[in-house]
Amino acid sequence: MPDIFTSKKVTNPIKKPLYKELPMQERRPLASFLMRPDGVSFETREAEEQIILFLRKHFVTNIPWMFTAVIMFLAPMVVSSFEILNSIPTNFRFVFVMIWYLISMAYTLESFLTWFFNVYIITDERIVDVDFYNLTYKEVSDANLDKIEDVTYKMGGVIRTLFNYGDVLIQTAAEVTNFDFLAVPYPDKVVKVLQDLRMEEQQEVIEGRVR
Amino acid sequence: MITGLTIWSVVKVLLIILLLIYIVFSYVIVRQVQLMTDTLVIGFEKQLKFLAFVHFLFAIAVLIFSILIL
Repeated sequence: MPDIFTSKKVTNPIKKPLYKELPMQERRPLASFLMRPDGVSFETREAEEQIILFLRKHFVTNIPWMFTAVIMFLAPMVVSSFEILNSIPTNFRFVFVMIWYLISMAYTLESFLTWFFNVYIITDERIVDVDFYNLTYKEVSDANLDKIEDVTYKMGGVIRTLFNYGDVLIQTAAEVTNFDFLAVPYPDKVVKVLQDLRMEEQQEVIEGRVR
Repeated sequence: MITGLTIWSVVKVLLIILLLIYIVFSYVIVRQVQLMTDTLVIGFEKQLKFLAFVHFLFAIAVLIFSILIL
């Protein structure tokens, strides 16, 4: 008997998540934006946990301290031409210059380390914020993806538009309620990846999967 | 009455105290870099530890040099 009604074959309309389409990136220690980096890890990472995004402040944000550091290193050459300093004994003058270079070195090192170790990591299970405020204080906080309630991103100003970086603000229901990914490159992509991951996490809950 | 010699002697003592404090500070940097490289594995650990250690050695060298020439 012929069928009166046959339904059309429905093709799967669900788009593949953005992060799965992108290739695995090699480890570049000074990069600000790494998609699925190879060989990057952190202290509390679980064995099967996969890092999807590795972020830190855009490299351009280093220019102010780099400029200050160059001025600091050049300052003794300029100051030495002042005649008023001739009243200071030569050996003391030399030690002052050495101490000045030590301070300049410490400033440069601290600024670089603060940039280098302030990282934001998005894994397939959670978001991790590693903060390195100064040389004596660090803070590592994380929140599961299902605890994320709201994600917004801000991008404004000439420099930020030119170099394509901005702030991604994440509100969670975890103990740390705000995760601010400041001055990260491609904030729109970060938000998209987070959206995909959250949807996948919801799907896992519905299907009763762990991963 | 404070003579020129005593003023510079006081400055010398102050500089050496300052450098001693600075050495402690530079050692804190070495330790902090060690701790942070344990927290995060990015692939730049050796270079960072080397930089922090060079800074620490430089601070010690400046202290020794200051004691010798002042």
